[in-house]
Amino acid sequence: MNLLIKLQNIDRRILYVLVAIVLSVPVIMRPSKHPDFVFPEVQHAYDTIDSVKPGQIVLLSTSWGAGTKAENEPQTQALMRHMFAKHIKFAVMSWDPAGSEITFQSGEQVQKDVHATYGKDWVHLGYKTGAANAIISGLAENFPRVMKQDRKGTPLSELPAVSYVKNYKQIGVVVDITSVGLMSYWISYLTTPKHIPLIYCPTAVMSASAYPYLDSGQLKGMLNGVMGAVQYETLIGRGNVATDASATSWALSAAHIYIILLILLGNLGYLAAKRAGIHTGGSRLG
Amino acid sequence: MMLHRISDALFPVAVHGRLLWVYIAAALIVGVLGLAGLMSVPPRYRKLVVAGITFLGGLYFSLEFLLPHQPIHVGAGTLPGSAGVAHFAEGLTNAKPSVADWAMIIGSFALLLGTSNLFAIHGKAVKKRTPGWYNSLAFFISFFAIMIVGFLKDSPIHGLNYHAAHTIQSASTSLYMILFNGFVQNLDATMFSLIAFYIVSAAYRAFRVRSAEAGLMMGTAGIIMLGLVPVGAWLTSWLPHTGPLASLRLESITYWLLIWPNMAVQRAIEFGLAIGWVAMSLRIWLSLERGSFFDRQL
Repeated sequence: MNLLIKLQNIDRRILYVLVAIVLSVPVIMRPSKHPDFVFPEVQHAYDTIDSVKPGQIVLLSTSWGAGTKAENEPQTQALMRHMFAKHIKFAVMSWDPAGSEITFQSGEQVQKDVHATYGKDWVHLGYKTGAANAIISGLAENFPRVMKQDRKGTPLSELPAVSYVKNYKQIGVVVDITSVGLMSYWISYLTTPKHIPLIYCPTAVMSASAYPYLDSGQLKGMLNGVMGAVQYETLIGRGNVATDASATSWALSAAHIYIILLILLGNLGYLAAKRAGIHTGGSRLG
Repeated sequence: MMLHRISDALFPVAVHGRLLWVYIAAALIVGVLGLAGLMSVPPRYRKLVVAGITFLGGLYFSLEFLLPHQPIHVGAGTLPGSAGVAHFAEGLTNAKPSVADWAMIIGSFALLLGTSNLFAIHGKAVKKRTPGWYNSLAFFISFFAIMIVGFLKDSPIHGLNYHAAHTIQSASTSLYMILFNGFVQNLDATMFSLIAFYIVSAAYRAFRVRSAEAGLMMGTAGIIMLGLVPVGAWLTSWLPHTGPLASLRLESITYWLLIWPNMAVQRAIEFGLAIGWVAMSLRIWLSLERGSFFDRQL
């Protein structure tokens, strides 16, 4: 009985060491197995990107940095690979100063893998700051006027991937890859009024709040954290490739099982203590 | 339309060479004059200036959104005055890129404000040798190190021969990669990943099934946690993909929970929030909101 009661107060240092082990093993082993199911919102995201017409670009709005790189980078790269494969031009813009550099490096990495060309196949518009509503509604009316140049300072007119983009009519899809949530700005100021499909790629913790927008049609698709990315990789034919996303999805699996086991153990201890008439309650957090 | 044209003349898409410095100097002069003008206004009227600008900003977006952009047709003709209103609304829409320019400029000021605050606080700490002053010194070293190598990496170096300029640029690129990829990214990711440890500890210590509701929540959370990851699909992989039994697969139950109970709750929360946003926006727009700068004399 005593042992059971002690289960609700395992030393936090033991918990922490086990977290590190549970997360590290799949990341080091890098399994290639991708899940054999694809959620409908991921399939819709794929179909939406696939349906971009020639003469239109995909605008990737990124508002993530190193903190959520594990979730948002696989989403970004999976989408980039799809667009490179289909010869769909895209422009990346960043609302995060460090994220601007990281997303550029992500793009360069994929570009190198698929032998694409910067400027011809894609561009990076750099970091944008200020009121998102004003910037989004401004670029809808006059894209080159608001964006002006890419992150290297090259005028957009000299970059074939986006030189023909004048306003919202040349934007086929907007993708919001985010850890902070700019979705409502895109919906209010561009995608809903101008009837442009919006794909949402949030971190997993933010995704539950997006379902009403998927149901209303204001979101055409969603990549739910790294699991969305790994499902998207299956769709683009990388289902048997060991990727960061597949490794992270298994790390996530291991972590979730670990948390569930801990909760069960804690409750076992709680019930044992209750039965023994001992005052129950957790120990301090931390 | 007029505003749009004036703005196009004042803020061309690209300015290069000496003209760029003229624009920078002009912007500085105008900025200093504007600030001096605002500071010369007696404090009690300063609030009015801020409230007025806030009101005009809100009014612009409201009118642009609400006014009809096409004349209203009544029978064979158009409603008197509606053509003028539509023309005015179109002018407001055309001014949006200029408004976006202003938004980015004001946003940049916020960066400057943040940096100057950091300099003031950490500068004082270094000067007075307060406890932990060396952390403030580390801030200055980090700030200037990444700023200098960042500029050197991307800017053309004039006045040096090709070999020397190339050496400096490749050295600064390498140093930048060490600082950004090696330090900034890893430190940021490390800070964020600490949450994983706290979440595990908190879930273990706080999640006790003390009532039926807590049990329901724990059961649902367990299904969602497993159903979203590959291992969940593996646990019920023995069930068929199609037919009535397919809906018992863990990922199917998870998806049902997300698109039915979860969506209903989220919709209710969003609806409540939206009503709150309208009220809050009106208070800010009309400068009725108390707090921050309106509570104290500027």
